[in-house]
Amino acid sequence: MSGHDGRTVISDTAQKAPGNSATDDVRISFKRWLIKNLRNPYVVFTSLIQPVIFFVLFVEVFGAIAGSALAEALGPDISYVTYLSPAIIVMSTLSSAATSGIGLVDDMEEGMFEKMLVSPVNRSAMFFGKVLSEVTRIVVQTLLILLLGYLLLVIKNGAAFDQYLRTGVAGIVGVVFVTVIFGGAFMAYSNIVALVTRDQEATIMFANLLTFPLLFISSAFLPLGVLPKWIRTVAVLNPITYGVDGVRAIMLGRDVMTVVDVTAFSGIWNTVVPASIVLVGCNVILGTVAIRLLRHAAGSKVQ
Amino acid sequence: MANRQSQPQQSTADQSREPDLAIDARDVTVTYRDGTKAVRGVSLRIEKGEFFGFLGPNGAGKTTTIKSLVTLLYPTQGSVRINGYDAATDPQMVRRSIGYMAQETSIDRELTPRENLQLACKLYGVPAEQRDERIETLLDLVDLQDVADTRSEKFSGGMKKRLDAASVLVHRPPVVFLDEPTTGLDPEARLRLWEYFERINEQGTTVFLTTQYLEEADELCDRLSLLQNGQVIATGSPETLKSEFGMDVFEITLENPAEEQIERGVQAIRRIDALEDPIVRTTDDGFAIRSDRIREVASEFFSALDDAGVSVSDFDVRSPTLDDVFLALTDDSSADDDRIGTGMASMSAGEVST
Repeated sequence: MSGHDGRTVISDTAQKAPGNSATDDVRISFKRWLIKNLRNPYVVFTSLIQPVIFFVLFVEVFGAIAGSALAEALGPDISYVTYLSPAIIVMSTLSSAATSGIGLVDDMEEGMFEKMLVSPVNRSAMFFGKVLSEVTRIVVQTLLILLLGYLLLVIKNGAAFDQYLRTGVAGIVGVVFVTVIFGGAFMAYSNIVALVTRDQEATIMFANLLTFPLLFISSAFLPLGVLPKWIRTVAVLNPITYGVDGVRAIMLGRDVMTVVDVTAFSGIWNTVVPASIVLVGCNVILGTVAIRLLRHAAGSKVQ
Repeated sequence: MANRQSQPQQSTADQSREPDLAIDARDVTVTYRDGTKAVRGVSLRIEKGEFFGFLGPNGAGKTTTIKSLVTLLYPTQGSVRINGYDAATDPQMVRRSIGYMAQETSIDRELTPRENLQLACKLYGVPAEQRDERIETLLDLVDLQDVADTRSEKFSGGMKKRLDAASVLVHRPPVVFLDEPTTGLDPEARLRLWEYFERINEQGTTVFLTTQYLEEADELCDRLSLLQNGQVIATGSPETLKSEFGMDVFEITLENPAEEQIERGVQAIRRIDALEDPIVRTTDDGFAIRSDRIREVASEFFSALDDAGVSVSDFDVRSPTLDDVFLALTDDSSADDDRIGTGMASMSAGEVST
């Protein structure tokens, strides 16, 4: 150790660490996860590259045949790019949110979870910081997909922005809001799987298992009206339907929900309000379970 | 056996709390929900500045005990005070005043050593203006200065351990808990960590170290407790333990170490009454005898072997090591317990030769 005497290390040892405020702890955890996510090629791929691939492919492949179904369900003036944007947004949110638990399992396997528990860090703040970093990721990728969709539409039809997102700038906020509450529910789900299985592979498997089948039995890719009856039935119970419909109503500027018929409000609110209620409900239920499991995992009670 | 157990664990009820103790654990018992008793009434009184060893085979309850000392586990029974703070009622103060290095290396592999240490500084609220200096010093200390800005995922086991060790010291805790810090490391890496632990102890840090390597405990610790089946079976300085429980060991190498020859030799030795029921173990090329009276009967010994027609090519009488102490203590306390037997075997096999 190259003659270093290290005397300064513990010259004043009999003291205790000062500790932080809870907001400091949130910031510390948030920053750590942000750095980790940015360094993880898998995260960068699912957030930035995968949406582009799917968006372009779906538009090129399904766009060619979806026209008549769209016209039948929503009228003639809606491009498939606009119609598909909510599906791509929701799909990417799902991919990101459903991997939230992987980070947690990773931390448990690497001993970082325990390292945090034995430090004076505020435990809720630590978890909240992680959630916040994932929400940030979802917000950023949603904005990027909106931009990408708009570019695709411009290339295809040379349309103006409010033809793409009919509710304008306020609509962007609305889309982000629905996306975040949608993502929250699946982040909770992913953490539940992670905490129950304590296994990375299982967490990834459950995430994938859910993502694709659920996307197809929803209104994501085609209007429910043109899909088989059993899909329409299952779609009512599928949270993805509510996420997609919520975002789509905001983008198209009209009531698009067909699974539940709400007429108490006007226009898009007949979709956005019930969709938000369902999604917030999912957050509350799954979030409660996740927090309970997390408390249990972090607790010092003998098991 | 009963008298040994009563030594380290005197009745605790009437002793008043001494504020000077770094670690004061009383009658710590951990019973898992499935009924497994991992720790059965462990009491430890460790003074500030001590280098204390907690020694035992796999499954003896070392990790469970250490976890209940660092607030990761509440004991089913008993109490823990660290630096005067009660772990049950004041866990936050305990956490601020200790460093804990878990058995599994705990570092963030996606971060560099510098970032890992920065994270640890932040977690413990080390003031921003002191962080850089502390991190530099620690990087020097564990010799990771050259790779300070390289992501740690591809580091060797020893490098990761050293980084982990540095990261538990950023807040200069007065007490450090090290749970088998050198398990799985190569001898060189192990020696390097030893040097490091000795240095922080010299600087005043109380060190609580669990290990399954007897040599490690012997080398480093001022005092140690031997743990078996969740109970402390002896406590004392390595020297005391060796003189109290260790017996001289006589190792015999045979010219022709065939099974039949070894057997004949062992039979001849057993007939020597003066040895008073020696403990004999066969080795690859002969056998080893443990007895208090080896040195007195050495000549009788060789003539007995000679008479039996067994020729000795080499022999060695040595003083007891902690290894022998452990064997002596565990032999007669749990001859019927196979699991301990295996634990011991792996322990001596895993020893480092230095």
